[in-house]
Parts: sequence; structure tokens; C-alpha cells
Amino acid sequence: MFEMFAEGFAMAMRLDTMALMSIGLFAGMLVGSLPGFTTLMAMAILLPISFFLEPIVGIPFLLGIYKGGIFGGSVPAILISMPGTGAAVATSRDGYKLTQQGKSRKALDMALFASVWGDTSSDMFTIIMMFPIAVLVMQFGPPELFAVLLMSLVIIAATSGSNPLKSLIMMMFGLWLSFIGTDPLGGVERFTFGLFELKSGIPLLPMLIGVFALPEVASVIIRNEKSRKLAALVGERLTFAEFRRCLKTICRSTAIGTGVGIVPGLGQIVAAMMGYSAAKNASDHPETFGEGELEGVAAAEAANNAVNGPTMVPLLTLGIPGDNVTAILLGAFVAQGLRPGPQLFEEQGATVFAILVAMVIANLLFLVIGYLSIPMFSRLVTIKTSILIPLVIMFAFAGTYVFRSDANDLLILVAFGVFGIIAKSARFDVMPMVMGFILGPSMEYAFGQTAAMSGGNPVGFFVTERIGALAVLLATPVIGYLLWKRLYGSPKTT
Amino acid sequence: MFTTFAKKSLAVLAVTGTAIAASMSPALAEYPEKPITMVIPLGAGGSHDLNARVITSIIPTYLEQAMIVRLTPGAGGQKGTQEVANAPADGYTLLFTHNYIDMLQQHVETLPYDPAEDFVTVARVNFAPIAVAVLADSPYQTMDDLIEASKADPGGIQMAHSGNWGALFVPAAQMMKSLGMEWNLVPYQGGGPALQALLSGDADVTMGFPSSLSSHIDAGTVRILATAGPERIYDDIPTFTEVGVEGDIGFMHRVVLAPADTPEDVLATLSEAFVALGEDRTFTRMMGRLGENIEIITGAEYDAMRAEQSVAYEALVADLTSQ
Repeated sequence: MFEMFAEGFAMAMRLDTMALMSIGLFAGMLVGSLPGFTTLMAMAILLPISFFLEPIVGIPFLLGIYKGGIFGGSVPAILISMPGTGAAVATSRDGYKLTQQGKSRKALDMALFASVWGDTSSDMFTIIMMFPIAVLVMQFGPPELFAVLLMSLVIIAATSGSNPLKSLIMMMFGLWLSFIGTDPLGGVERFTFGLFELKSGIPLLPMLIGVFALPEVASVIIRNEKSRKLAALVGERLTFAEFRRCLKTICRSTAIGTGVGIVPGLGQIVAAMMGYSAAKNASDHPETFGEGELEGVAAAEAANNAVNGPTMVPLLTLGIPGDNVTAILLGAFVAQGLRPGPQLFEEQGATVFAILVAMVIANLLFLVIGYLSIPMFSRLVTIKTSILIPLVIMFAFAGTYVFRSDANDLLILVAFGVFGIIAKSARFDVMPMVMGFILGPSMEYAFGQTAAMSGGNPVGFFVTERIGALAVLLATPVIGYLLWKRLYGSPKTT
Repeated sequence: MFTTFAKKSLAVLAVTGTAIAASMSPALAEYPEKPITMVIPLGAGGSHDLNARVITSIIPTYLEQAMIVRLTPGAGGQKGTQEVANAPADGYTLLFTHNYIDMLQQHVETLPYDPAEDFVTVARVNFAPIAVAVLADSPYQTMDDLIEASKADPGGIQMAHSGNWGALFVPAAQMMKSLGMEWNLVPYQGGGPALQALLSGDADVTMGFPSSLSSHIDAGTVRILATAGPERIYDDIPTFTEVGVEGDIGFMHRVVLAPADTPEDVLATLSEAFVALGEDRTFTRMMGRLGENIEIITGAEYDAMRAEQSVAYEALVADLTSQ
């Protein structure tokens, strides 16, 4: 095993591998930072290029796009409150507040360092623990996934926003919105009011942009901020002291993100929210979270990037892709003549280790590329408000349209923009709604599967046979503690 | 290595370049004069997406135009299908779909288009035969064991599939109907998760395409009990016909369709390009690596098969939903 690793390590140290990986990272970052373009689209479009490259060059190229794209998504989230993916929602909260305070460069630096730290640690953990993780992955079936998702939703509702009751209302609303469309198990149409446009449900991206970015645009216009001091807006770079202050949070989030990555079907969105919630709960000053707290950015970014390592495990050891990104990677592997699955390590051990090592190297390369390009991005906000605001509106509409070229999505964008403005003025936090909307379908699916597995009695199935029961038992005291702390704990909590 | 890459990239660039140049010159109205969009009514990263990426990276050689993939998932494939049904019938918008979306859905629900009336076949690119799989240490050594156990305990055998009325569900339903047995069909979000359910012991049996099962077959973790069709794929494993399943079932056909009123000469140009693609060496090599066959059938020949599929699926749906 160690010999294979050493051989793989040597294979990864190639100049063309590094070069293509850097190109991938840069391309991914650019695409990811444009609202409406997703990392997944970039990977799918550039996939054929990897067909014509050697495995050890082509696959790292795709990995570069992936990693660059995830960071790219947090750039508009921080700068103009426009999260292009669910994973960047948690980042946008404190990140955008920091930008408003003229600290956009600090926020982007923190996002970069936390991302690289989270990703590198989880990749190394994955390389060492590959086979134990594979065993663990197998333990998660629909009942367990349902229990974990339910727990996640309750934690998010209990910890986000200022008022747990308002959060819960918003989450319920988000869950209801997620039910609109076709029932994923039975194929029955629900709440579509007979409209074909709603048959596939409400699309996430227009909702995200509408509910987060448009209210910000509106408030800037209403406040009529003409007198921003432009020169001061970019702010200073992150200091080492600030990074060290957040290190504990970054490590905690890395552990949470890695854990979330092991559970198939959870993903980056849950990881980011869990990391954020945990940091807020552990903090002596939870009231600063949501008001421009560097720790908030660090917590979300370290967690969502730490998911990346373990998601490779089912792909490499079982040949089963856990999400769309790994499905594209599977295609790249197979087209190269490498068949992920039980025999991959025996047949192609060195190549696999080379690819894993390349994942770690990609992070380090990205540290350099990201660090050099952040000044360019952060300067965006120094554009005059009278130009920036039309530009943001254009990004919002153009991004929504390019997402899938459907004019109806623009109506959804505007509807959620208006909803976001009303919710903001009524002091309702939209985050729990978005989380309910994103996690609702997975939870419903897992519940339906559990019901199908047990022949119609999901509750009995939980309590008797599965580790799902264990997950529920473990979750109860955690949730109880969180709620208790929130309601009666520190009176300072706003 | 870099030179081959450079050559290929240059070739792609050259094709794209001429495509852009051609689309700007109004003269020479010979089809195709601008890039062609191929709509996939499914999400990114699936087997259709992969097949399409291979097709579109090579077919420009034969069409002298770029072919662009557009993923339009939603409503079980209906969103993308409707988009192409409403697109101009000029050969610049095509649909890359499969037989279950194409011919089965109309019998399950009301569609905003009529698949038989609104589309014609450009080409069937390939087909994948389904296989019945159990774990290597499963008590069911043969398909007969499984059938016997299923009949003895109706609904007691857990079968993991990739979603209702999908590529793994339909053959399972047809098999149940044909053999007079009952499985408990549990849906998963795709073939991958269904296979994982088998591996983790949540399911007793699943189905899958040999291309996605091959690494597990070789590693000895999964055993195949039967494969679709009248001809054996593996020497020692019986076919569906041999175990008593009737009808032409268990094949997923990947097809390129065009809006119904597309002119004959345009369809002919497209079909010829697909036939030529089927003999391209780079194409065959790459599809081979993906584990896909290449069996090009064009135009009317596959349209006849579509009509047959529709009749069979209508009977199946009527049978399954009447209970």
C-alpha cells in the first residue's frame, strides 16, 4: 500500500498536471463567480477535454474546476449578497455584512484560507481513512438519512435567526414550497394549480438570488447611499491574528464537514449550515454572528469544503457516485479506462493515489491563485453605487436566465425578491425557509423510501431495526439542549 | 501527449470557428449552417449526459457544425421534451432521450405534448440491456431460486430501483407481471443509490446495466442472475426469455429525436452523420470504454419500434395501476 502511495505521489508531481490543474482552478473560479453558471455545468462542458488527456492530467483538471468553482460561488455571495448555490448561503450572511463594512477583502481572504484548510485536512483524512469510511458509508440507508435530515432541520430552525418561532414558521413555509411540483415517489402533482411551469417545482437558483440579492438592492436604493467612501471600501487583507482567532472554529467546521461528507446524500449545504450553527453556539458572542463576523465566514467555508474529501470514497471504492459532481468524475474515470469500484486499488493503485495526492496539491495551488486574484474581485465593490446597483440587477436577471434559459424563472426571481423585501421589513429571517426548501425533498424522499422498505410502517421500522433509531435517540438531547439554551440560556442572545 | 491534445483542441476550435463564420454569412443555405442544440431532458452527470458529451465532441467532424448539449431536467423529463416539441422544426433543436420517457409516460399521465405525433426519430444511438443482480453471498443462486422465493413470499423480497416508471422499475414490473410474482419495489434516486442499497443489504435484489455493474461482477461482490433479451450476454447466465419472461423487455434505447415537421433532407443529413459517427474509430473506442454498445438505427425503422413500445407500455401501465 505504501509503495503504491509513493509511486502515486511521484506520478502527481508532473509539470503538465500542475499546469492543467491551475487552468482548471482558474476557470472554475471564474465560472463559479458568475451567478447562474454552476460548477457542475462547467465540469460537464469541459469533460470532453479530459477524454483526450492522460488520466493523471485530465482528472486533476476536472478536480481543479470543481474546487475553484466552489470558492468562486462564495465571491458573489460575499460581495453582492448573491449566493449562486445553496452551499454559499451561509457564507453570504456574514460575508456580505463585512463587505458593507468595507472589509470585503478580509472576508474573501478568510473564505479562501478556511476553504483551503477545510479541504486539505479532509482530503488527507480521506486518504488515510479511505476504507473505514467506505464501511461507514454503507451503514447509511434511507431511515438514517431521514433521521439526520430531520435533526439538521431542527438545529437550523433553533439556531438561525433572532426568534425561534419566526424561524420555525419560515422553515415550514420553505418545506411547503418544496412540496410544490411532482411528488418524487408517487408522481402525483401537488400545489401546481394546474400550471405546467410548476410541475418540476420551484427552481432553487432564482429563489436564492431573489430572496437574498434583490432585498439588498432595494435597501441600497431606499437608503440612497450616494456618499460611500470608495477608496476605503476594499479594506485590508486578513491578518494572522484574525486567522488564529478563527482557527478553532475552522477546525471544528472541518470536522463537521468531513462527517457530513461521509453521510451519502447530505452534501455541502447541510455542512455549511451545521458548521455555522455550531460556531455560533460555541461562541461567547453569538450576537455578532450575522452582523459581519469573520468567524461566520470561516465556519461556513471550512465546513462546505471539508465535504469534498469523503464524497470521493463511494466513487473510488464502490464505483457509486454520490452526487452529480462525482457522477461526472465517474464518467471521466471510465472514459480513461479506469473503472472505479472494488478492484480499482488493486489494478490501478498508483494512479488512484496520484489523483488523491493531486487533490491535496490542487488546494495548495489554489491558495496561491486565489490569493493573487482576490484583490481583483474585491475591487468590484469600489464601483460607484450608481453603476454597481444596475450591474447587480443585471447579474441577477441574466444569471437567472442563463441558468436554464426559462423566462418563467424571471417571474419567480421577482416574486421571491418581493417576498424577501417584505420578510426583511417584518424581521423574518429567510435562511430557514431556504434550508427547508433545499432539504425538504431529500427528507420526503427518505421518508417515502423508509415507508416503502417497511411495507407501510416507517415508525416501527425506526425503533426496531436500524441505526436510524440510534440517530434519533442521539439527536433528541442535542436538540433539547440547543432549544433550552436558546430560550433560557444566555439573555444576551438577540 | 500534449501534441494529440493540441491537435484535438485545434480541430474543435477550427470547427467552432467555421461554425461561427458560417452562421454569420447569409448565403449558402445548406443545412446545417449554424450550431445544433441537443436537449437532454435529464440532469448532469448521468449516463445520457456522458453519452452526449462523447457524441458531441466527435460528430462535428461529420456535420461540419458544432453540436451543443443543453440539459433541461424537470418533471421526469417532460420539461426538456416539451421544449423540443415547441421548438422550430428546422433541425437545429434535437432531443436526446430514452424509450421510457418517450413512450411510457404518456400512459401514466397527461402530457403537454403527444410523443407519437410531435417527434420523429433521427437515430437510435445504442441500447443497454438490463441485468438482475443480487449480492454474491445471497441465498438466491439462480434466477429460479429468486422466482421461487418471490412466489412463496409475495412482497417479501425488497427490490431497489431507480425511480418510478424508470429504466430499472419498468423491467422489474414487466418481470413481475410476466412471472406472476410480487416484489416490494423501493425507489432510489438513480441507479447508483439502488446499487448501494443492494451492497449494504437494504435490498435483496436490484437491476442494473452491465456497464455499471461490471466492476462489481469482476470483484465478485455481485452476482448476475439473468440478462435481458433472447441472446446471452454472459455464457453461463440465462436470458429473460430462458427464465420464462415474455416480450421484448429490459432494454433502454438512447434515441435522438427531432420535431415532427423537420424537412426530409435535414433528417437525412442528420441520420447520415450518426451512421458515420457509428463507424468513427475514436467514437467506438470511447463508447467502448464507457461500456456502451453502438447500434445505430435511423428514422422510420426505429419509429416502428416506438409504436410497438407504446402498445406494450400501455398494457403494462393498465395492468399495474388497475390493482
